[in-house]
Amino acid sequence: MAEAVFMPRLGQSVESCIITRWEKKKGEIVAEGDVLFCYETDKASFDEIAKVSGILLEIFYEEGDEVPVLANVALIGKAGETVDAFRSSASTSAIAELSPSAETSNSGSLLVAEQNVVNVETPSDSKIRISPRARCMAQANGISLQGLQGSGPNGRIIVRDVESVGLNIPKVEPFVPVSTKPVQAVSVPAFDPISSNDDYVESPLSNMRKLIAKGMHASLQNSAQLTHHTSADARKLLELRAFYKVRAEKGEIPNITLNDLVCYATVRALEKMPAINSHFLGDRTKTFKKVHLGIAVDTDRGLMVPVIRNADDLNLKALATQTKAMAENCRKGNVDPELLRSENASFTISNLGAYGIEIFTPVINLPQSGILGVNTITYRPADIGNGIIAFIPVIGLSLTYDHRALDGAPASAFLKEIRNQIENLSNDLV
Amino acid sequence: MPKSQFIDPTDARKKSEIHFGSIPVNQYSKTLKEEKKIYSKDDFLRIFRDMFLIREFETMLNLIKTAGEYQGIPYNHPGPAHLSMGQEAAAVGMAYTLSVDDYIFGSHRSHGEILAKGLSAIHQLGEKALMDIMEVHFDGETLQVVENGFKGDTKELATDFLLYGTLAEIFARKTGFNKGLGGSMHAFFTPFGVYPNNAIVGGSGDISVGAALFKKVNSKPGIVVANIGDASMACGPVWEGISFATMDQFRTLWEDPFKGGLPIIFNFMNNQYGMGGQTRGETMGYDMLARVGAGVNPEMMHAERVDGYNPLAVIDAFRRKKKIIEEKKGPVLLDTLTYRFTGHSPSDASSYRSREEIDAWEKQDSLLAYPADLIRSGIATKEEIEAIKMVVVESIVKALKKAIDDSVSPRMDLLAYPETIGNMIFSDGSVDKMEDRTPDALMTMEENPRVQQLKKKERFGLDKDGKPHSKLKTYQLKDALFEAIIDRFYKDPTLVAYGEENRDWGGAFAVYRGLTEALPYHRLFNSPIAEGAIVGTAIGYGMAGGRVIAEIMYCDFLGRCGDEVFNQLPKWQAMSGNIIKMPVVIRVSVGSKYGAQHSQDWTSLVAHIPGLKIAFPATPYDAKGLMNTALQGTDPVIFFESQRIYDVAELFHEGGVPEGYYEIPFGEPDIKRKGDYITILSIGATLYRALEAADILKEKYGLSAEVIDARSLVPFNYDLVIESVKKTGRIVLTSDANSRGSFLKEMAHTISELAFDDLDAAPIVVGSRNWIVPAYELENFYFPQAGWIIDAIDQKIVPLKGHISGTDFGDESIKQRNKKGV
Repeated sequence: MAEAVFMPRLGQSVESCIITRWEKKKGEIVAEGDVLFCYETDKASFDEIAKVSGILLEIFYEEGDEVPVLANVALIGKAGETVDAFRSSASTSAIAELSPSAETSNSGSLLVAEQNVVNVETPSDSKIRISPRARCMAQANGISLQGLQGSGPNGRIIVRDVESVGLNIPKVEPFVPVSTKPVQAVSVPAFDPISSNDDYVESPLSNMRKLIAKGMHASLQNSAQLTHHTSADARKLLELRAFYKVRAEKGEIPNITLNDLVCYATVRALEKMPAINSHFLGDRTKTFKKVHLGIAVDTDRGLMVPVIRNADDLNLKALATQTKAMAENCRKGNVDPELLRSENASFTISNLGAYGIEIFTPVINLPQSGILGVNTITYRPADIGNGIIAFIPVIGLSLTYDHRALDGAPASAFLKEIRNQIENLSNDLV
Repeated sequence: MPKSQFIDPTDARKKSEIHFGSIPVNQYSKTLKEEKKIYSKDDFLRIFRDMFLIREFETMLNLIKTAGEYQGIPYNHPGPAHLSMGQEAAAVGMAYTLSVDDYIFGSHRSHGEILAKGLSAIHQLGEKALMDIMEVHFDGETLQVVENGFKGDTKELATDFLLYGTLAEIFARKTGFNKGLGGSMHAFFTPFGVYPNNAIVGGSGDISVGAALFKKVNSKPGIVVANIGDASMACGPVWEGISFATMDQFRTLWEDPFKGGLPIIFNFMNNQYGMGGQTRGETMGYDMLARVGAGVNPEMMHAERVDGYNPLAVIDAFRRKKKIIEEKKGPVLLDTLTYRFTGHSPSDASSYRSREEIDAWEKQDSLLAYPADLIRSGIATKEEIEAIKMVVVESIVKALKKAIDDSVSPRMDLLAYPETIGNMIFSDGSVDKMEDRTPDALMTMEENPRVQQLKKKERFGLDKDGKPHSKLKTYQLKDALFEAIIDRFYKDPTLVAYGEENRDWGGAFAVYRGLTEALPYHRLFNSPIAEGAIVGTAIGYGMAGGRVIAEIMYCDFLGRCGDEVFNQLPKWQAMSGNIIKMPVVIRVSVGSKYGAQHSQDWTSLVAHIPGLKIAFPATPYDAKGLMNTALQGTDPVIFFESQRIYDVAELFHEGGVPEGYYEIPFGEPDIKRKGDYITILSIGATLYRALEAADILKEKYGLSAEVIDARSLVPFNYDLVIESVKKTGRIVLTSDANSRGSFLKEMAHTISELAFDDLDAAPIVVGSRNWIVPAYELENFYFPQAGWIIDAIDQKIVPLKGHISGTDFGDESIKQRNKKGV
């Protein structure tokens, strides 16, 4: 019976490896201990040693192929042994892991295909030990499972772990009896009746408020976020804004705001430096090839962050139009809730410039890796050339990023790129 | 142990001898000429007709089984057919003298007895009575098939009905006598006095005694005949049934008119083989079966061996034995010698006996000898005999054609009505009394000393300051049981209670204290220590139409009545096609302090068996309400009690235990304490340890536990538990049963299934260890304790700050223990 050679699993976080070089060829005799092939993860390179002697009957992946861990890479056996049984399983699992959509065209059973698709989509969740109730609770409250610390048996995430994120309770040890009713103290202040006297009015939280509270708190508690501040020369920005305003008043183009221009510039920066256009998922990051831009919108009901999908495909006009429509939908309350999920945006912009804010530290919408705060325009002395120092308008930029996802230097470089984009906006965008 | 009977040591120690009388063996010697004085020509021919009908019926079955066709009619019958070809004279002789009121019980080989007794009843019943019986049976569903295309008189119609109903039953047709749910080995038809046949060897040995008890206690006409095989003489239930039936007290202690022996004949259809084992000479030591009667009582059970190859000899014996029964000198043991030509079943090649032996018996076949005698004596002609045969064959062909025709004899449509059988498992009746007459009692209920005493008791456990009343002044769980039971004794005249130490002692746990004064012997008596017979007779008593409470003292003794509890009690309602009701309550008590064989909680064993209702109250209020429900119902109930809590007071039901009658429906669990962080579901006495655990959780960890008392196991409505788990997300289940295979595991699984997304951890079972129960001093290491519940929560559900576990519920321990099988 031929022996299959599997791509080894090097720790929980590694899902696939790249074969960098085959040391043996198909049909070659191998001895136990020979190096079969070299492969690498994102971190290091390794040699795979033959565990049995025999003939290398078949090679299922070539150099440069990305191979799911535990996939059947090759076969060692005796001359003439059949390899077909091994081939199919190897290729099926490769398809399932790497391109779920291809599965439907395969003759394999639909059920298996679907299962594989699910596995592909939620590999991280399936590794998390979490009780069904805690999982449902986290989902219902929009709490990311990533970064939740399990305090249950065997490190299982249990309800109290989710509650402690969502309900502002000290983690892991919420059950110290405080008075005769400690458990009640734990449970939801939201159900308290309204009470008031001369000094104060107590109001229950709206659901919206609760969601924001949970999300913001979870973000600060479960990430390593910090903010860098800079400012960009806003002369070009203001020039364009004035120009577009005139044209908009004539009805030639839609209204294009300063915010639209900053968003446009940021999208260009994200295209150039995508590391921060990403989600941090505990054991890995998900870097987006497209820009799904979350834009913070203030509404009567509270903060909403709708997402403009594929913002990198939009020209300035389209971006402005969509942003306006989206903000209006939010204020009217008829925005598609799917577009409000932080999982659906790859990066967020929050603009407080209109309020005269000069510096702030925006809070990341997890699992995103960063958020750009846009501040008001102030005037600052600058060398405008020829040794002349003059006051020029500058726009403040505050980038909060998750230090778990990226380091200070690339974050700073990204912020610099935004500044660069803002200062060098093209004249013929519209 | 009645005080009225003095055991005199001088007398008991006196030197003497036991003398046995003689037991007749095949003493019948009358000639046909002599018998002509008793039998008319019609009688003689009817005996032949009945014998031949049985022979032809079984010949047909044998051909269907072995050749796949009879008279050119093909059919495949995959089910059983244990044939009695050769035994027809014994069957017809047995049934000939029996009246319609006489009941027969049978074995797996009883087609012949069913037909013989049915034909005998048809002969005796008037036309109107016959029509009524046939029209009432399943609203005429069976009759309709028979009537279609029928020509002839009512008796012939009834004969066709008997043949068809039996055959359709054997072929599992909906139109069969028991809707096809009994089949070949269990078919019966009570209106003709044919009571259940039994596929368990000796199964009828104690059940039939219960039917005889019913006749005696309720002054019903008729006797009972237990037709069982020779090999069943070795079986426990048969010995126990005989022991029960021959108790001295029937003659010494029971009052007139109930005084005297039980009206039952143990008729051993002795075909000399038990499957392939030869009883005489190989597997038994009695030499002749009738000898056994000599050891049972001074009357030697009026035992006799009868030549079962001569129908007239059998009739003669039954006529004489019936008279003994009528004189209240029963019971009787008959050893009816016979022989079967076919194997145990059609697949039996008879390798255990020689062809020569079979040939020798076939030469003496009663189907040859008896008609030859009739012809030789000038009673009948050859033509008359042949004419009878032709009519019989025609009837059987007709019955067969109808019974195998799917359009007139369909099977149950379980595709369209998948719950049909499920709906037949319980009868779910609510009946105050099984018969309407004044119950026999020695005083009014109000005069009863215990009833009067209970009037003075505190019916709630705590006074208005929340302090417990003194034990002596408090109404306890055993009082609650007593109240429900005595109430039913004064409602239902058929109710009887018996078991070990039920009478003068008042039950080993004092539940019946006060009943002895109130009830005559025939309603409350001590049984032999024979749990098989205690339960088996209760089954027969219920089957025959009475209500009964049988008590087997310790739960552990369920093992002693395994067949009765597992195979008989739960099955007969459904196997009868719901004709039979089974208002039988079996009281069992879970012990403690008495070690490995007197302390086990076996709720799980009985809950596993379909067809039993299981209750286990833990509070006086629940005990009375559930016992009332058990005694109002028509289903078999295994009623669990716990010796740990017979003396508990009511602590939950506001206002205490009501004095009046009330019922608590089976299947409804009860919240004994409200809470919202974790649910604890308990069965039986562990309720109090669950409450203790809830106190610890509250005081030490600030967690509120909701404590639910299951109260019953089967049926069980999960709504309340699921609602609680949806709220708390966590559940621990606890009972005194050892945890492997415990009913708690079933509940835990069902809860996981029904509330999976609401669970913060898998439901955790805290049961006893899978050990022997150790001595009282070590019991705390065996039975679940409040601390175990806390430990389980800490280790499996939510780690508790600062808690140090005393018991190990870790995954590794679970695996190791399972690996070791403990």
